[in-house]
Amino acid sequence: ARTWKILSFVVSLPGVGVCMLNARLKMQQRSHDSPEFVTYFHLCIRTKALSWNDGNHTLFHNPHSYLLPTGYEDSGH
Amino acid sequence: MAHQAHAYHMVDPSPWPITGATAALLVTSGLAAWFHFNSMILILMGLTLLLLTMYQWWRDIIRESTFQGHHTLPVQKSLRYGMILFITSEVFFFLGFFWAFYHSSLAPTPELGGLWPPTGITPLDPFEVPLLNTAVLLASGITVTWAHHSLMEGQRKEAIQSLFITVLLGLYFTALQATEYYESPFTIADGAYGSTFFVATGFHGLHVIIGSTFLIVCLLRQTQYHFTSNHHFGFEAAAWYWHFVDVVWLFLYVSIYWWGS
Repeated sequence: ARTWKILSFVVSLPGVGVCMLNARLKMQQRSHDSPEFVTYFHLCIRTKALSWNDGNHTLFHNPHSYLLPTGYEDSGH
Repeated sequence: MAHQAHAYHMVDPSPWPITGATAALLVTSGLAAWFHFNSMILILMGLTLLLLTMYQWWRDIIRESTFQGHHTLPVQKSLRYGMILFITSEVFFFLGFFWAFYHSSLAPTPELGGLWPPTGITPLDPFEVPLLNTAVLLASGITVTWAHHSLMEGQRKEAIQSLFITVLLGLYFTALQATEYYESPFTIADGAYGSTFFVATGFHGLHVIIGSTFLIVCLLRQTQYHFTSNHHFGFEAAAWYWHFVDVVWLFLYVSIYWWGS
């Protein structure tokens, strides 16, 4: 068990820490590039209304980062 | 005095198999009713019955094993076979979704722009949060192994500590994935890319939640002195399931997040 305890605290948890830092730094340097794209036919498919709310928002809908068929919901874009 | 002349466990009659089957019927038909008739009553009844069945059935198994001693070595062996077969069936379940992903991505249709990722899709950077998720699950695989060895060596405090860290890592993964889902620039309704991505990672996430729950139950049982240093199959089953969840993630990461970007 000592081997695995050492591995946990010396390798795996610091590894997680490094990846946390890496992810945080990368997110900061990623500029606010919002892809102002056209509504493609093969994307944002609504052949049947979703079973909740108004039928137009997926479960994890984020008004800031998602383009609905009617355009961005958030006026930030 | 009547004694059984064998080492097996002839289980007492129980209502949980039929309530579980009824729950399965209600959940499946309820899902269809929800989608097509906008009624949630069936699925809600089904989910309630399912949760009650799981709680009571597994509580009974703990009573039969830990408190009544019915889990002899041959019984344990059967349970091991059972868990291995179950995990194997889950492997095939995920294999289907990987098949769908590779079917769509190896020969992208003209409707998608003839390329993968399809036109208009900005995939997630595999070296940001997905890489962190990989580190988290790999770390939890190491901590759960630490927990197992502590358990086998009778180190009660270390077993609790390592199992607790494992659970925390599992919950951290779930939280990270939830924020990824929220921040994602594409949804499940975004054609073949969206469907394959969210169905595969979504079912994986569900399995992480199931695995984390299993580990939490083991943690609670360990604090209540249920496990001994050479009989702790519930924990072993949870650890096997957790390693399976980790391996599925590695395949998801390499195929969908990395190669698929």
